[in-house]
Amino acid sequence: MDMYELARKGLKAATDRGADEAEIFIMEDHKTSVDIRKDEIEGAKENISQGLGIRAIVNGAVGFASTNIISRIEDAAKSAVSSARVRDSDPDWKSLPSNGEYPRVSGIRDPELEQMELDDCISCTVKMLEGAKSIRGIVVTSGSFSRGFGKRMVMNTNGVEIEERSTGISGFTDVITTGGSASTAYDFAISRTNDIDFLNIGKNAADLADSSKNGVSIEPQKTNVILHPFAFSDLIGNAFMPSIDADNVQKGRSNLIGRIGESIATEKVSIIDDGLLEGGIETGQADDEGVPSQRTTVIENGVFQSYLYDSYTAGKDGVKSTGNASRGSYFSTPSVGPRNFIVDHTGTDIIAKTDTGILVNSVIGAHTANSISGDFSVEARNAFMIKDGKIDKPIKSLMISGNIFDMLTKMNGAGKDVRKVGGIVTPSVSIEGMNVVG
Amino acid sequence: MFEVDFFDSKIIEGTTTSIILDNGNIKEVSVNYTKGAGIRALSGGSWGMTSADGDFDLNKAIRAATELARGMNERSSKEKVEMMDIVKPVVRNLPKVKIDPRDISLEEKVSQLNEIGKRAKLDNISSVSAVYNESTYKMMYSDSTGIEGEYDITRTGFAISAVASKNGMYQAGRESRFGVTGYELFEKYDAFALAESAAKTALELLEAKPAKGGNMPVILDPELAGVFAHEAVGHASEADLVLEGSSILENRIGQEIASPLINVIDDPTLHEYGYYPFDDEGAQSEETVVIKDGVLNSYLHSRETAAKLGGRPGHSRAQGHSRPIVRMSNTYIDSGKSKFEEMLEEIGDGVYLIGSRGGQVNTGEGVFQFNAEKGYLIENGELKTLLRDVSLSGKILEILNNVKMVGNDLSMNSGRCGKGGQLVPVTDGSPHLLVSEAMVGGA
Repeated sequence: MDMYELARKGLKAATDRGADEAEIFIMEDHKTSVDIRKDEIEGAKENISQGLGIRAIVNGAVGFASTNIISRIEDAAKSAVSSARVRDSDPDWKSLPSNGEYPRVSGIRDPELEQMELDDCISCTVKMLEGAKSIRGIVVTSGSFSRGFGKRMVMNTNGVEIEERSTGISGFTDVITTGGSASTAYDFAISRTNDIDFLNIGKNAADLADSSKNGVSIEPQKTNVILHPFAFSDLIGNAFMPSIDADNVQKGRSNLIGRIGESIATEKVSIIDDGLLEGGIETGQADDEGVPSQRTTVIENGVFQSYLYDSYTAGKDGVKSTGNASRGSYFSTPSVGPRNFIVDHTGTDIIAKTDTGILVNSVIGAHTANSISGDFSVEARNAFMIKDGKIDKPIKSLMISGNIFDMLTKMNGAGKDVRKVGGIVTPSVSIEGMNVVG
Repeated sequence: MFEVDFFDSKIIEGTTTSIILDNGNIKEVSVNYTKGAGIRALSGGSWGMTSADGDFDLNKAIRAATELARGMNERSSKEKVEMMDIVKPVVRNLPKVKIDPRDISLEEKVSQLNEIGKRAKLDNISSVSAVYNESTYKMMYSDSTGIEGEYDITRTGFAISAVASKNGMYQAGRESRFGVTGYELFEKYDAFALAESAAKTALELLEAKPAKGGNMPVILDPELAGVFAHEAVGHASEADLVLEGSSILENRIGQEIASPLINVIDDPTLHEYGYYPFDDEGAQSEETVVIKDGVLNSYLHSRETAAKLGGRPGHSRAQGHSRPIVRMSNTYIDSGKSKFEEMLEEIGDGVYLIGSRGGQVNTGEGVFQFNAEKGYLIENGELKTLLRDVSLSGKILEILNNVKMVGNDLSMNSGRCGKGGQLVPVTDGSPHLLVSEAMVGGA
């Protein structure tokens, strides 16, 4: 059965059972991946996943059901209606989105990736291995290549009907040094189009692990810390993003309640949430409930401008959705999620500008940050001392702690090395006076 | 019919219901019907794997997996992989479901969760969230060597989180209980009392002081020590990580790696959240003693790692129809003899770390970092100032060796563990531990 016909059948099943409004979200993904384990290509995987989620609204109460068994679409519609019926009417519920004008987006579908053969997938993977093995004494503990293509469709009883196709490719390499001092490092890249330098992924990881060997201990101190895009995106994603999610704001779980218009960061920094970024990992014409994508300024020259909304939270605040409804899968209901989250700061050669400080490549434990207060205490990985504008000795073990909001005001520079870390697009950033414990 | 060295399939079919309460309101009631198959084929040293959703053609999926495996083996041939032969698993001792959650109406579940939310809404609690989850599914396994088995299992659970706020400060308290049981879970645990307890923790933490970092003696409560057992010891003993060179426990079997007071066990036969009658490769579940009296006794194995390193399979698991990998089940540090009061007396001055807000470990380098939910300064053997945002980090082997007392009060906590992008239900546990020196981090 064709997707549109199926969706209409589902919508009809829901309205026939008493739903005032209904929505079908259908997802289909084809993915080929190749895995590396201990210097060897271990195997290949092909996953075809598909499924659908149904939201049914009865008297202002929303019910949800999902299935990956297409033949059970009517059972799912029935369950969605009965789960709506056990809920009280939600006075904050306005309605499902209505048909909108969709912007054009580019760079998210590459026919080369749709047609990529197993041979090509294997040779990309081999390149990561070769890149890593170009450095002596490196073992690739694990790694993976993947490419995929798929489509998403949203149809609702208010006239929304949008289908989008996209592609993606990614590579990941995790390495360890052999011999006396074991040090590890990883690198990865992800893109919508076939433009990843796989050799470089392996080489970067290997270089980093190799130069992290024989780390020294340092005294606890307050110092200038430069965070690589991997480290900074991890912290901003876990400690800052939850506070601009309108749902958290409305529930009192944000540090930014009532602070629109306030200066919360150095005036040199701006943050934009952009659903339209060319080739962005989170780019699309519409969000996951069919609201047209847009570009939302979150911080402009240090001043806090906007929260991020899906249609429910927007209705509650009496504003327009910012196109930030996101679903992890067909079996999840939409919730607020960032699109391409761009940290914008003029770039310079920040390491050369730093007399003394510490460079941190990645962190572990960022998910343990306090998502409301923004406090965190994490283990730094692949950290180095910076001396007279140059990267100096590696540091053996290091904890960094601080507060993300405090960091935004203490940002005193950024690199030219802007990187797409998934949906977060950021350069390395320099923060003055961070607490580190060696 | 399929020209490969080995193939197997796991088919699951089931229904999941979840109810989410957020800020005092039911945010979501959802039902999911799912069916899927994960198929693996092995040719020489190469694996091919396919997965399919919904109404699939099993033979077609096996064919696709075998083609991948053979294609890979032709293009990048390598050392042959052996799969340890096993005997057909016997499904015994399945947990009995007293109250099938499907027999309880959605209305009743919703009102139960609403009441849990109300109990946590004490003064100064700014928001409460809670979730109820039930899943019932059938698992069917078969492989090309004639092994097959199937079982039905029911899991239920709930989690509560309360956030307290005052003067721009926010603190959270959490409680959760999950098990391989039916709706009788609510008879076993007093969800209302747990809701109040989560709220009280959040309120208490508003008055807590930030911790000062440094090296010091610590007492870990059973929850945090259980997280340590799982994250730091359990993961490092997973044989796939050992084989890929990502574990500090490589080549250490038979060596003393911990204080002789330490015994670490992974036991999938216990009726805890990590229970299974046989694993996702058809291997019978059995208790594995990872550390015995401080000596590394065994890794956790799949059929592939057991054939390669020698050992017993039974720890290979997958989320849904993903590819099975070596996983833990119910992992715990076994009880010792010490009483908590004796530990306080022994430690004199130090920090008592309680609960966990998650953590991470680098099993290759043998370092870890966990954030505790809260802590107390210990002065002269007495619990004094309450601490917030306190963390524990260090080297796995140093902590294991620095354990000076093991409590007699083993207790278990359930949750889900992530590895390779897959989440599986697990339980971890420990009694109180006294550690003579550990790195405590503050905010």
